[in-house]
Amino acid sequence: MRNVLAIAFVLAPAAALAHHSAIRFDLTIRDHMVTGIVKEFAPANPHTKIVLTVTRDVEYEGHSRNNYYRGGWREGMVKVGDKITLNAAPTRDGSDGGYALGIIAADGTRF
Amino acid sequence: MPRLSLKLGATLLGLTIASAALAKPDFTGVWGNYRAPGTAAPQRGAAQAPLPLKPEAKAKVDAYHALVDSRGDTPGGFCLGTGMPGSMLGSGGYPMEIVQHESVILVVFEAHAEIRRIYLGERANEEDLFPDRNGYSFGRWEGDKLIVETTHLKEAVDQGRYPHSANAKVVEEYSMVVNDDGTKVLTSKMTMTDPDFYTQPITAEKKWQLQPGVRLLPYECNEPTWEEHLDRLRQGGETG
Repeated sequence: MRNVLAIAFVLAPAAALAHHSAIRFDLTIRDHMVTGIVKEFAPANPHTKIVLTVTRDVEYEGHSRNNYYRGGWREGMVKVGDKITLNAAPTRDGSDGGYALGIIAADGTRF
Repeated sequence: MPRLSLKLGATLLGLTIASAALAKPDFTGVWGNYRAPGTAAPQRGAAQAPLPLKPEAKAKVDAYHALVDSRGDTPGGFCLGTGMPGSMLGSGGYPMEIVQHESVILVVFEAHAEIRRIYLGERANEEDLFPDRNGYSFGRWEGDKLIVETTHLKEAVDQGRYPHSANAKVVEEYSMVVNDDGTKVLTSKMTMTDPDFYTQPITAEKKWQLQPGVRLLPYECNEPTWEEHLDRLRQGGETG
């Protein structure tokens, strides 16, 4: 029982990291483009994580992996080191980051 | 005599057509949100009519929203399935797959890989049931319509549109038509009765359209959390 409780205790903070919300972003702005070098591209549900080196490393959130797939993204289309452009709704408070509404891959593919 | 045979034949033909029209339809397939031809996609965040909540229920729902709205927290953001009736009324806009058997109909929602089972035929014993976000659904065919009654729900103030108590009962009537353009359209008319939360029954309608060639994608939501946890363990950030 002690082990079970210990595992539950350890997992609790990790579970909190599953939190995703688009409320930080101003989704009414649909034409904010940012170009950078991909440091990390992690397609996932419910939201994708993208780290782009612009002038410094900036983390972006994006649609779910499934929605990107239905929008045309396929495995291997975005790789570390690629120069890509995000159509990224900015944060409401002006801090770094944004919500990737769309992506232009290095080869020009849009999804 | 030939005239009598003709009449009899016509009557039999009519009966055959009528019974075919009332035959159990097969809902098996992948369904997506229905959009009538030429209409725009519905706007998110559009104003909605206030719900006829009782004061105590409204206080509970308001307290929940005061807690999460400014952060944008939702069950889905924490990888939790929607639960009834939200699962059947939208499920985040993702498709759902229906697999129809004689004794059970499986409704698999892509979002969160949430599964709803609609049992037909033999009802589970009351003592074997317990509350769940999707409740216990039992259905019956009435001609070509499927009637589904859902009970044993958990209280859910976190439902996106229709919060409810544990005593809510949801009745859905499913029917399928084929449009002139050949599109199969599935309609669910829902009535939720919940005297603990509402002053009157809640009604809603949802339409889906069959999406031939579409497959449901896996939706493993907790994998990044697990990987981040492993990374922290590898870095010695957590012990336990």
